[in-house]
Amino acid sequence: MIVKDNSPRLLLVDDETAITVNLAPFLERSGFAVRVADDGIQALELASQFHPDLIILDVLMPRMDGRQVLRRLRGSGDWTPVILLTQVGEAGERAMALEEGADDYINKPFDPLELVARIRSVLRRARPGQPPLAASRQLDSGRLILDRRAHRVVLDDQELSLTPKAVSLLEFLMTHPDELIKRERLLESVWGWDYPVGTRTVDTRIAELRRALGDDASKPTYIETVPGEGYRFIAKVEVRP
Amino acid sequence: MRPLRWAWIPVFPACLGLLLAAAFRLGWLPNEVVYLRADLGTLAGLAGLLLAFGFGMQWLWWSRKESNQQAFHNRIQLEAANERRGFLRRLDHELKNPLMAIRAGLANLNGTALAPDQHEVLVGLETQTVRLSNLLGDLRKLSDLETRPLDRSPVDIGNLLQEVVTETENRPEAAGRQISLILPQAPWPLPAVPGDRDLLFVMFHNLADNALKFTVPGNTIELRAFEDNPSVVVEVADTGQGIPDRDMPMVWEELFRGENARGTPGSGLGLALVKAIAERHRGQVFVRSRLGQGTVVTLRLPTR
Repeated sequence: MIVKDNSPRLLLVDDETAITVNLAPFLERSGFAVRVADDGIQALELASQFHPDLIILDVLMPRMDGRQVLRRLRGSGDWTPVILLTQVGEAGERAMALEEGADDYINKPFDPLELVARIRSVLRRARPGQPPLAASRQLDSGRLILDRRAHRVVLDDQELSLTPKAVSLLEFLMTHPDELIKRERLLESVWGWDYPVGTRTVDTRIAELRRALGDDASKPTYIETVPGEGYRFIAKVEVRP
Repeated sequence: MRPLRWAWIPVFPACLGLLLAAAFRLGWLPNEVVYLRADLGTLAGLAGLLLAFGFGMQWLWWSRKESNQQAFHNRIQLEAANERRGFLRRLDHELKNPLMAIRAGLANLNGTALAPDQHEVLVGLETQTVRLSNLLGDLRKLSDLETRPLDRSPVDIGNLLQEVVTETENRPEAAGRQISLILPQAPWPLPAVPGDRDLLFVMFHNLADNALKFTVPGNTIELRAFEDNPSVVVEVADTGQGIPDRDMPMVWEELFRGENARGTPGSGLGLALVKAIAERHRGQVFVRSRLGQGTVVTLRLPTR
């Protein structure tokens, strides 16, 4: 094993051993120290003993499901980053995952390499012991304020008139600052599905956001285009609890 | 049972007759013997009226029965469609974990030392697993579509079709096809359709994509739209290979792939998705096709 002492520690929670038995070694080879829990109760026990840097949590499990585990953790002030493995492909499920304090989610069946990429980016933006950006009610970025509860965007004390999709898109970008987000991922997360054609749809909404924010695509303050790749929110984002 | 509602019409005079008969026979009313005389003309008129009444009742009853049967048939079809969707949802759900296990296993195997030929097998397995995952994703989209909240802002169909055409023309598969868009300008442009622009885009794109798949260089693809109050009608027509008659009833069904579709890439969900999106917009879809001459898909979307 190439696991070093300073490898990030992962707790992988899934009741399907057919998955964990293969995913755990794969994650170890990707440079993480991995422990496996088979259900929610075991997950809570291991979380307090093993002190993982990140928990990968399946939603549908017997005894105690992933959402309950997440609620327990957050309820006790444990802000260990969590990536949910969602099962139900419904938009409501996704929104709920983030609202309950997950840092990210990924739909089964996923590409294991994509999971590794997500783990790395969540670990990079994690601020130890603090709520994730994804769980905050308000996000500030200089003159720009996003009130997530009211779904309102304010720039220089002026409320912007944006389509609901544009607000959700901005929300996703602001909760993933400094991270390159592919169009496909934006479609999946914001639109709720990744339709190969719709990538233009993303560009249209980004253009709407830029117009409203007065952001120049060639010299952006907020949203940067990475040609052929996707978008990145480049301004600093702070949390107002 | 709706015909019963009409049954009182003959029952009423029948009851009245029986009641009167009883009243006369039992002596409650003076039961005198009377002789009726009538000329043939009057009798013929009366008989005609009676027959007309009888046939009218019969016709009413039949038409009721027929529309009832139609409603019943529709309900059966709707139930079958719901059942099918429910089945697809369960299938999607049950396939997720095994597929995930396979993907994890393959990724795990990929990190171990493998002989070149073994590696080749692994790559093949991975490709097929991804394909299976995509199919599953498409199934999920389809069932998701039935329940997802729908945007209902006015959509400029002309503008949307222009976007679809531009996007289609720029694809490498479009090489050699003549793609045109015909939109009404006079006396007024197309009215807006309330709906979800992104979903409508997917719908028209799927149709244009199908037209590309079943045409060859030199063929024509035409998108046209017109107003037919209170609807906007959009047609996507091509001079491609057409659909065989026996495939026509199934083209809108999930996972159906026609005889001519074998050998072309696709999941068999494109048209099912088109239909689902149209129906969520209270619209209708029709297809006409002639083998060897081409296909035209007609979409009718209400503007109110």
